Amino acid sequence: MNKYFSGLIAVLFLILGGCQNNSNEVVVYTTVDQIFSEPILKDFERETGIRVRAVYDTEETKSTGVMNRLIAEKNMPQSDVFWSGDPVRNGVLQSKGITESFQSEQTGMIPAHFKEANDNWIGFSARARVLIYNKNLISAASLPTSILDIVQPQYKDKFTLANPLFGTTTFHMAAVFSLWGDQGAMQWMDGLKENGVIIASSNGDVKKRVMNGEVPFGLTDTDDAFEAMKESSDVGFIFPDQQTDGTGTLIMPNAISLIKGAPNAENAGKLINYLLSSETETKLAMSCAQMPLISGTKTPENVPSLDDIVAMKVDYKKTSEKLEEIQPWLKQWLQK
Amino acid sequence: MAAKIGKYISQFTLVLLLFVLVILPLLLLIIQWLTGADKAVLLSFISRETLLLVSKSLLLSSVAAFLATVIGTVCALLLYKFRLLFSGFFKAALLLPLFVSPYIFAVAWKDGFYWVFGNTAAFYSVAGVILVHTLVFFPLTMLITGSALSRVHAGYEEAGFMIVSFRKMLFKILLPLIRPALTISFLLVLIFSLSDFSVPAFFGVNTFTIEVFTQFSAFYNYQLAIGQSVLLLVLCLFLMLAEIRYLSDAPFFSVDIRGSVSKRYDVEKQLIFHAVLSVILFIALLLPVFMLVIQSLSGRMLFFEQAWELIGPAAFQSVKVAFTGALLVTATGLWAAWMQERRQFRLPGLLLLFSFIVPSTVLGIAFIRHFNTPSLNFIYGSVLILLITYLARFGFIASRIIGNGIKQVPASFEDAARIMGISPATRFYRITLPLLFPALFTTFVLSFVLCLGELGTAIMVYPPGTELMPVKIFTISANAPQALTSSMTLINFAVVLVFILVFLFIGKIIFKKFQYV
Repeated sequence: MNKYFSGLIAVLFLILGGCQNNSNEVVVYTTVDQIFSEPILKDFERETGIRVRAVYDTEETKSTGVMNRLIAEKNMPQSDVFWSGDPVRNGVLQSKGITESFQSEQTGMIPAHFKEANDNWIGFSARARVLIYNKNLISAASLPTSILDIVQPQYKDKFTLANPLFGTTTFHMAAVFSLWGDQGAMQWMDGLKENGVIIASSNGDVKKRVMNGEVPFGLTDTDDAFEAMKESSDVGFIFPDQQTDGTGTLIMPNAISLIKGAPNAENAGKLINYLLSSETETKLAMSCAQMPLISGTKTPENVPSLDDIVAMKVDYKKTSEKLEEIQPWLKQWLQK
Repeated sequence: MAAKIGKYISQFTLVLLLFVLVILPLLLLIIQWLTGADKAVLLSFISRETLLLVSKSLLLSSVAAFLATVIGTVCALLLYKFRLLFSGFFKAALLLPLFVSPYIFAVAWKDGFYWVFGNTAAFYSVAGVILVHTLVFFPLTMLITGSALSRVHAGYEEAGFMIVSFRKMLFKILLPLIRPALTISFLLVLIFSLSDFSVPAFFGVNTFTIEVFTQFSAFYNYQLAIGQSVLLLVLCLFLMLAEIRYLSDAPFFSVDIRGSVSKRYDVEKQLIFHAVLSVILFIALLLPVFMLVIQSLSGRMLFFEQAWELIGPAAFQSVKVAFTGALLVTATGLWAAWMQERRQFRLPGLLLLFSFIVPSTVLGIAFIRHFNTPSLNFIYGSVLILLITYLARFGFIASRIIGNGIKQVPASFEDAARIMGISPATRFYRITLPLLFPALFTTFVLSFVLCLGELGTAIMVYPPGTELMPVKIFTISANAPQALTSSMTLINFAVVLVFILVFLFIGKIIFKKFQYV
């Protein structure tokens, strides 16, 4: 019995273990929704002949797969490039010594505000936080113009927010804490709780609940809002805090990092440059309404320009640090 | 003498291989946790809050396990003890919820609830989690208790009938006789429910698994997460060891009723029985599938073509890997079961039990840390890592199913052949293997379907560039239109269904061919 079983195991391993890696390739781990990131990577593959081996993850799965993989693989990286939907995760990886600096002609085209000081991550195509609403349940005129107003009694039980421990919502909360100070932000979040905020499992869930008419309005990202508008004419969105003296809305660029010790560093550089091009920004603007950071990039008419939005003044590095600091409090807040 | 030594060497080599591939990564992770942390904070996770959360999770999962066992036993009683029209259809249809991700069904049920009642508030609660877990896992209990009921000898029931009513016979004779099957059903659902992250997260219910997951994915606090996982692991191990200690010789799941003369009853008013089964079928399968169909048709365009374009390559790759995985799991299950039943060597079974109860995220982390080295990269960078994952996740179930098959093969058959001087290889191939074929085939089919749907660990270890169906649906669903996600889920469901039908067809032939072996 034992020897037959040994034989079978040996054959299985021989058959399947023979898969060899191709040297002309690049391995990318991404938390950007696969429906948007995959076509870009396929285009790169087609245009350069470099095979892309991707591992996809998403906010919906709390980015557990990719982030934990990158951390666990630190001593022997498998990935060359990390493409994230926001700079927070790149910040976490940087603090753990997993990313390294990357500079090129393309990185020079990105405004300094959207890059890490030493180019450990470089931003491109940005999303913004918006209030998405169901036109059948609330009119645009009745929506709060500032996120501060969501705690008003007229919005009781009418607002939904994704779990603030994950995804871009964490980053948004960290930005709010940085801007308003701990006391002010905690007071506001407690106000949300008292006003019956509905916690959704993700930004996608916020979009779905509003679209279905389960909740009148919620806070989510522009790509979710645009996707909802493609699916239903009952949905609209506004940028909050656009008054001239307002705090502005949070702008979150995609962020790309070169992994320290990348096995295919040369190809990684080519992929990073490709992603940091105007062409990629145009593609992302068309597929998911992301706003280009490189000036002069062509975009469809319905995609707003960053120049027309009052942006929250955010120091991404400090916000990342703040995020780690407030997470235990956010966890407690969630369980209140 | 030399043959005996050779036998021990090959036995030892295989155990060592299983240990190195599956258990060592977990042990190393635990050792890292024990040695890496500050001793003062090593056990700091054992706080009042943690224990309360563990109790809450245990209670929630126990209720789901209890309800699943009750519903599964009722279905099994109706389908395996009564001569009902269309019982074959109900047996197959009621199994289907087991083969779809609980998360997808949670979304569909919630939408169905909203569609019917216009409100989902009641669903976002502990009750919602219990409902989904009960309805997703009850087919497992139906399978196990149904198998046990088929093996109860008619003599017991007939003797009971001589002095008591059917009701009393049911509660005093029949159910006590299948107590081991009821217990293992309850324990398996309890463990599956305890380990599931997706449904409680979707409904916003805080459970211990969510706590572990949060430590991993939001705080990247490996020490604490592993510490908490160890607590969960000890809990599950305690439950399963109790099962092994007291019920190890009891039937777990048998596909074979050779040698048993089970009694089946005629029913005059079949309508009531059919009504009960139809209601369960409607709630557990038709409602969520109906919701998926509605959603897939509700978009501004039909997405089936795009969905197939997206999921097609992943489907082919998934089937290939799941097929190979199921072969490996079945072969290992056969070996482990053989060692336990015929050689009284329990170690392989215990190793598989240990890996079975480990939460999927912990298993993923352990595998990454262990296999991501230059010398083992041929495993980590290829689909071999997925095969090892499947072995760790489902090897135990396979060994138990086959173990029960072996129990039913009288040792006297082999003894008689041995006395006649027939070699061990011939004995195995000509006597044991044909007798075990139905059990092996069922194990293979169940393993194939489980491998095809595995998500928890696969999402953490799948090699770059590999596409797997459950992973792709999960990642695409984040921002794709609902109609597209639902279309992809329906295609996934159809793929599983096609394979189940093919296997059913093959199974019929195999069972008929080997019925009188």
